[in-house]
Amino acid sequence: MKVKVISRSVDDFTRERSQDLQRVFRNYDPSLRTQEKAVEYVRALNAVKLDKIFARPFIGAMDGHIDGVSCMAKNPTQLKWIFSGAMDGDIRLWDIASRRTVCQFPGHQGAVRGLTVSTDGRMLVSCGTDCTVRLWNTSADNIMELSNSTKNSVEPASVHVGKNAYLAVDHQWDSELFATAGAQLDIWNHNRSEPINSFQWGSDSVISVRFNPGEPNLLATSANDRSIMLYDLRMVSPVRKMIMMTKTNSIAWNPMEPINFTAANEDGNCYSYDARKLDEAKCVHRDHVSAVMDIDYSPTGREFVTGSYDRTVRFFYYNSGHSREIYHTKRMQRVFCVKFSGDGSYVISGSDDTNLRLWKAKASEQLGVVLPRERKKHEYHAAIKKRYMHLPEVKRIERHRHLPKPIYKAATLMRAMSDARKRKEERRKAHSAPGSVTTQPLRRRRIIKEVE
Amino acid sequence: MPETKRKHRDETNHRRGHSKPNKNARKKKKTGPRLPSSLQKELDRLNPTTSIEIDQDIDSADGDAAERELLPQDFYEYEEQHAEEESKKNKRYDPGSVDQLQYDLPIERSDESEDEIIQSDDDNVDDDDDGMERTGDAADGDSSEEGDGRHTRMLQGITGMPSEAFEGKKKRKMKDDVIPELYPESEYNPSRDVVDGDGQISIDDLLNPLQDNPGFGKLRKRIQQIENNSKAIHAPLRTADQAKVERKAAYEISKKEVTKWQQIIQRNREAPTLLFDENIDLGFSTVGAIASEFEPRTEFERKMAALVSDDKVMEAYKKDAYDAWQVSVEEEKDRQSRIAKMRSLLFRHEMKAKRIKKIKSKTYHRLLKKDRLKTEYSNIQMDPEAAKEFVMKQERLRAEERMTLRHKNQNLWAKRILTRGLNSQDEGTRAAIADQLQRHAELTRKMHSMKDSSSSSDDSSDGDDEDAGSDQEMGSKVVGKAIEKTMKVIQDDHETPKSGLLSLPFMRRGLEKSKKAAVEEANLALQEYKDSKKKLENSVGSEGPEATSISGRRVFGASKTQISDAGDKVKSDYNYGSSDSEDDLRASKNGNIETQGSNVLQKDVNTDAVLIQEDTDNHQESVFKDFNEIVKNPGPKTTYEVSLFVSDTWKKARNRDEKGTNVKKSAMPSGPVRQDIKDTEKEVEEDSDTDSEGQMVDGILTSGSKLSYELPSQEELIRQAFAGDDVEDEFEKDKMEILNVENPEPEKPVLLPGWGQWTHVQKKKGLPSWMLKEHENARKKREEAIKKRKDAQLKNVIISEKLDKKAEKLHTKALPFPFTSKEAFEQSMRVPIGPESNPATAIGPLNRPEVVKRPGVIIKPIQFEEVNPHEKAEQRRGDKHRSKKNKGSGGRSMKKTTA
Repeated sequence: MKVKVISRSVDDFTRERSQDLQRVFRNYDPSLRTQEKAVEYVRALNAVKLDKIFARPFIGAMDGHIDGVSCMAKNPTQLKWIFSGAMDGDIRLWDIASRRTVCQFPGHQGAVRGLTVSTDGRMLVSCGTDCTVRLWNTSADNIMELSNSTKNSVEPASVHVGKNAYLAVDHQWDSELFATAGAQLDIWNHNRSEPINSFQWGSDSVISVRFNPGEPNLLATSANDRSIMLYDLRMVSPVRKMIMMTKTNSIAWNPMEPINFTAANEDGNCYSYDARKLDEAKCVHRDHVSAVMDIDYSPTGREFVTGSYDRTVRFFYYNSGHSREIYHTKRMQRVFCVKFSGDGSYVISGSDDTNLRLWKAKASEQLGVVLPRERKKHEYHAAIKKRYMHLPEVKRIERHRHLPKPIYKAATLMRAMSDARKRKEERRKAHSAPGSVTTQPLRRRRIIKEVE
Repeated sequence: MPETKRKHRDETNHRRGHSKPNKNARKKKKTGPRLPSSLQKELDRLNPTTSIEIDQDIDSADGDAAERELLPQDFYEYEEQHAEEESKKNKRYDPGSVDQLQYDLPIERSDESEDEIIQSDDDNVDDDDDGMERTGDAADGDSSEEGDGRHTRMLQGITGMPSEAFEGKKKRKMKDDVIPELYPESEYNPSRDVVDGDGQISIDDLLNPLQDNPGFGKLRKRIQQIENNSKAIHAPLRTADQAKVERKAAYEISKKEVTKWQQIIQRNREAPTLLFDENIDLGFSTVGAIASEFEPRTEFERKMAALVSDDKVMEAYKKDAYDAWQVSVEEEKDRQSRIAKMRSLLFRHEMKAKRIKKIKSKTYHRLLKKDRLKTEYSNIQMDPEAAKEFVMKQERLRAEERMTLRHKNQNLWAKRILTRGLNSQDEGTRAAIADQLQRHAELTRKMHSMKDSSSSSDDSSDGDDEDAGSDQEMGSKVVGKAIEKTMKVIQDDHETPKSGLLSLPFMRRGLEKSKKAAVEEANLALQEYKDSKKKLENSVGSEGPEATSISGRRVFGASKTQISDAGDKVKSDYNYGSSDSEDDLRASKNGNIETQGSNVLQKDVNTDAVLIQEDTDNHQESVFKDFNEIVKNPGPKTTYEVSLFVSDTWKKARNRDEKGTNVKKSAMPSGPVRQDIKDTEKEVEEDSDTDSEGQMVDGILTSGSKLSYELPSQEELIRQAFAGDDVEDEFEKDKMEILNVENPEPEKPVLLPGWGQWTHVQKKKGLPSWMLKEHENARKKREEAIKKRKDAQLKNVIISEKLDKKAEKLHTKALPFPFTSKEAFEQSMRVPIGPESNPATAIGPLNRPEVVKRPGVIIKPIQFEEVNPHEKAEQRRGDKHRSKKNKGSGGRSMKKTTA
């Protein structure tokens, strides 16, 4: 006779340490758990609600400037240091961890309009409306020494004076070159007092410049003539120009996808372009109700943050038409600059109210040390939320945001306007000969032409 | 006009040298991106180069000058460094200076080509033929058209004639190949007719006169060479156009450069997870490493460092440390040997203990114990200390016993055994318990022995008491024995046979019944014994009223009242199988309570009830179930009973109004038998007479009536049954109601004076037309909706189209974006991903987020790496882990920073 005995190995049930969890052996036969889907749906719902409860994105404000913050620069080697320039010519280095000023960089006579740091973090470049480009030595040792001593300000390493005001500056990745934008685009070297190269195409001033971090020889600028221009430092001339209906305030390249960049436009939308096909935007990111002033990609390349004249900061996925998150506070005024932190988990915004604000990139993310079990739980919640996000209840809770009244009203108004336009177009189409009226998709509508 | 002339001359000149430039163009391709020859010709025509033509000075003089500066110096023409005026202008058409022209022409050509090459070098376009050509194409098309337009416009401006005139002229000109002459014909300016048959001057023509000159051979050779290697030269574009072309080319190049990222981007986008937390350089790994990085900054630190790293100090320290830990070799050896010895001893002892413990022999252990006791005893005797200890031990044991009463059947085991009954235990247990008790006694006796004598006198007095009540005691003892025996009987009869005839279910049931009866009997007996015991304990002579009531009764009388509850219960439970005697018993019990007369009556009733019960019982089991039933009306107290039969004879059906409760009780068990055959019920009703009271109905059904009654068909029965109510009609009504609820009827237009109309119009016409129209529309819409309903065609069905709100929550309104079909969407949510339904190894991959990054780790921008585009997706899936690793290492190199 065969006797069946339940046999279990001791090893399976023995804990290595007394703190270890008891192992639970389960039968994973789905026929035993017929309600599992329903259970997960409820869990997803709860997770979404919990997200709402834990959504506390604002970490703190950094107070110290006495005029609106016009530009910021993050140190590529230091996570906790961020530079900010104000409209009164003040440049400060902030320690994000303690939210205090580490030191100041006095010298600019007018507004500081551009700040950038070299890839090794040793050189800060600033430029402003006083027609000067200033280079500051910001190596870690230098700063540490400064913070230890009583003196709290730095002398510029060199000052270059130009003919026109400078409106933007950006540093090339992993090299000594940087570009300033003003009346024309100048390429500088750290060690030279004169620009090594200048580009000019059209007569309007260039208002923003951004190097492509993945493909360091490419850079994009936007100008007052509503154009976006591409340059390649290996070429003698500018590469391509594209003119839109409204001005582009800022440009950000996707750090993980060097062919793509996103332009923050005056019309409140952001347009993602493929640098190879400028006749059509890849994606139009709508939601802001006023001009988008600045844009910065997360280092993961999966999302970007925008700061707008409508006093809000919004987050977009790189491929979504609408924002996933909006941040606003009562005291935050026009946002002029935004930056993702180097690890992609924080965002810093600088606004007209002279403050820098530190936000979490994910509103309900748990800060501090997350234990492995906690992390697993978070991951599970995120997964089921993603799985059930299309169901109406989950979607509703996830998307619901409280908005300041003016923004809510403006958004409603804009929606009504766009609806009306669409309706009118449809009617016009319906009442004319087939094929005689064509509608341009929004991706193409705002582009006037591509200039060779 | 001169301009036009010049242009045309250019054109013709160009045509003259038709074959050569073409060849040259082909050759040029090798050096860099060039326009196709035809287009270039067009370009040349429109943007005339002056290099070939003699009149270089006219418009592009400065440009040419610049070009000329770049000329290589090995051409002797430029070594001569003639003034431009001298070399060209002044002797332009002088046949005497033909040699000048001769040299000029080929050299210039080659110069131009050189120039071009330089330009292309600047552009960095050496290896991008296609791009250049394509862009060149477009540019040329544009520029030629533009040029044409401008030309005609200019002509228009000058002459004031419409542009068509010029266009025609141009065409004609092109056909006729007319060469307008700028200079008057003369021997110095020979027309083409004069010089040659076709009016074209070739190089040969110019060379011929020089044949006699000394350097001619050399010159000829040189020209030959140049002719063979010569290339076409083109005019530079206008700066704007030039820039445009350059930009185009540059854009193409940078486009191409950027396209290399395509594969990487696609791979990253398709990857389920992007990992940014791999390859983290933690920097300092140990405390030592961190400490080694320390650099003294402040003065104090520097001083400290100087002291710490001072050689003398270090040496002294080391020496000290060495001395402190110095141990002689002998000492160490000694210590080790000592320890080893101890260890071996311990080990041996251990082994011995183990061996002894393993021995199973009882005798051995007994002997061992004896030995031990002996030694102990001897110890006690020998050693006063040991004796003292022993006494102390005993004392302690006693004290413990007194406190805990451990051996007085107080522990769990003993309690359990006692509750189960000592008698049911086996010998061993009993012996163990006895043993315990004995032990207890022993321990306590010692206590007694230590006490004074007063307790003993108590004991004796107790014994006296016992003696006094000895006869009583004897009786009670006997009774106790009886009780014990009955208990035993009760407890013993519990096991039922598992096999054989007795294990059959009905047999078992029977057995159980009989056993229950026996138990009951035994209980009775027990009670009796107890009573008697009590009585014995009380005075023997006194008899309670109960005893008197017992007198004159049957055997069970005495205890009945006392056990009435239990007996009652038993009866009510088992009255099916109860015997006559039991009935009697009950009756007599009832009789106890009530009067004699009523008792008799009730006895009758009871027997009747029992009879009926028996009958019903039989019928339940019988085949004829249909008509045999007892129907009870739901009304209070109203009970009617159909008395049924087995044979053809009538059974009496009696009205039991007064004893309703009793009857009810008896009828209860048959309740479940009630069947819902309404027709029979009806018939019964019809047949039965109604009582005057209206409460009771006696339904009587006989076999005689059955014989005369023809069983109707099923349909007929149903029709008869539902004769009164129109179900279909009701159903339709219901359906209409639901329809109205789900598609409500539009409200009738109501006239509200002063609303929606001017009052005077309203007066005249009644309801306004728009109201009527609206109403009509609504009505039509409703009809449509009703027609569209799923149950519109189904007469007997109502399909509600009201949405289930709870279910609604679990459905999306439309198919969500990335999904292409409903099935795919549902599939995506089908398999649960939680830890309850997946093993731990699967949860990680199932729940992994799209982006895995670690807070505090700076993510650097992407770096280029080669991706094999033909790598199969399956392969990648298979080697997911590996590829991810690769990605992490190549794509994103992270660096830990101190944040």
